Amino acid sequence: MPLQSPTRRLMHHVGLQFVAKKVSGGGHRSVNAGLSLTSMIDFLVVTVVFLLMTFSASGETPIAKGLNLPKAENTLDMIDSPVVAVVGSQILVDGTPAGNTRAVEESDRMQRVDELFNILKAKRELWKQTHPNKDFPGVVVLEIDQNIKAVVVKSVFQTAAFAGFPNVSFMVNSIPKTG
Amino acid sequence: MGGVDVGGGGGGKRKSLDSEINMIPMIDLLMVTISFLLITAVWTHMARINSDAQVPGPPRPDVEQEKVEPEKQLNVEMRSEDKFVLVWKQGATTVDSIEVPRKDVIQQEGAVQVVRFPDLAAKIETEWKAKGQHSNPTDRKLDQAILHTDNKTEFKYIVGVIDAIYQTHRDVTFGGKTEKAPAFNITFAVN
Repeated sequence: MPLQSPTRRLMHHVGLQFVAKKVSGGGHRSVNAGLSLTSMIDFLVVTVVFLLMTFSASGETPIAKGLNLPKAENTLDMIDSPVVAVVGSQILVDGTPAGNTRAVEESDRMQRVDELFNILKAKRELWKQTHPNKDFPGVVVLEIDQNIKAVVVKSVFQTAAFAGFPNVSFMVNSIPKTG
Repeated sequence: MGGVDVGGGGGGKRKSLDSEINMIPMIDLLMVTISFLLITAVWTHMARINSDAQVPGPPRPDVEQEKVEPEKQLNVEMRSEDKFVLVWKQGATTVDSIEVPRKDVIQQEGAVQVVRFPDLAAKIETEWKAKGQHSNPTDRKLDQAILHTDNKTEFKYIVGVIDAIYQTHRDVTFGGKTEKAPAFNITFAVN
């Protein structure tokens, strides 16, 4: 077989017919798809605008695991204050264990939770020391599961009030107003 | 490269008003912005419903106490399974008592049950319009509602009733601006 110099139509010597067709683009749709830049930029800009509008700079309030908060319509914005969570029978103040509600549940009577009382009182004293010339706001947020019994809610509420936090708020999930 | 034509073009020695934007950095910027906003997005909006423990301050022997006429307070009884009782009290005196049939509107939303009492909310609003003492927009004080519940009631029902009480709004003028605010302040009965 005599030697030939390579030409530009090299692939014509490949025996496979479909390869030859693909290479030369003979008759079939191209594998490469076009993308309209204008539509893509429109889409990206709309997405950015939507996300910017729904952006919240105040951040997310951490919720204790296993808690199902109730939902309410007539709500107020969250504020920066100590959070008392009741998870099962465990009480947490800003994530730190602060006693439990077993004694309240067993007796079925409202009573002060001493450990919670001491921790909240210490928080109040600390706030007064760090803000000597300001009035103490006395705000605490209770993060309580929707199925917790009223006797526990009232006991924690009363304990917070006795510890110097008379403005008690309940954390809820906000839902849009009906009607 | 994408071109932006802002019209004109100018003649003579003036610099051309046409400019070009490099598409690749622009799309990169949009993508990074979208990624940042998606990562920092908050999809669940937490809120709070307020209440007040009404703890009285320590008595001051140096200040002469004025005898103040006790205000009317709305007591909301939710101990019964089939009705609410709204009792207006002035001190120890019962001014009026109204029964509202209890119709729980419960809606399941995932693992959470949303409890609403629309009939109670409507009745409380009517009652406040008729008997509420602090309706003047310049009056900062709120009417007091006291919630009576038994020990076994679940928290979601308590929130439902508090939500119904807070549905009544009134105008409040604050710093020259008039805004809508809840008409009642809520506290719990200890008994």
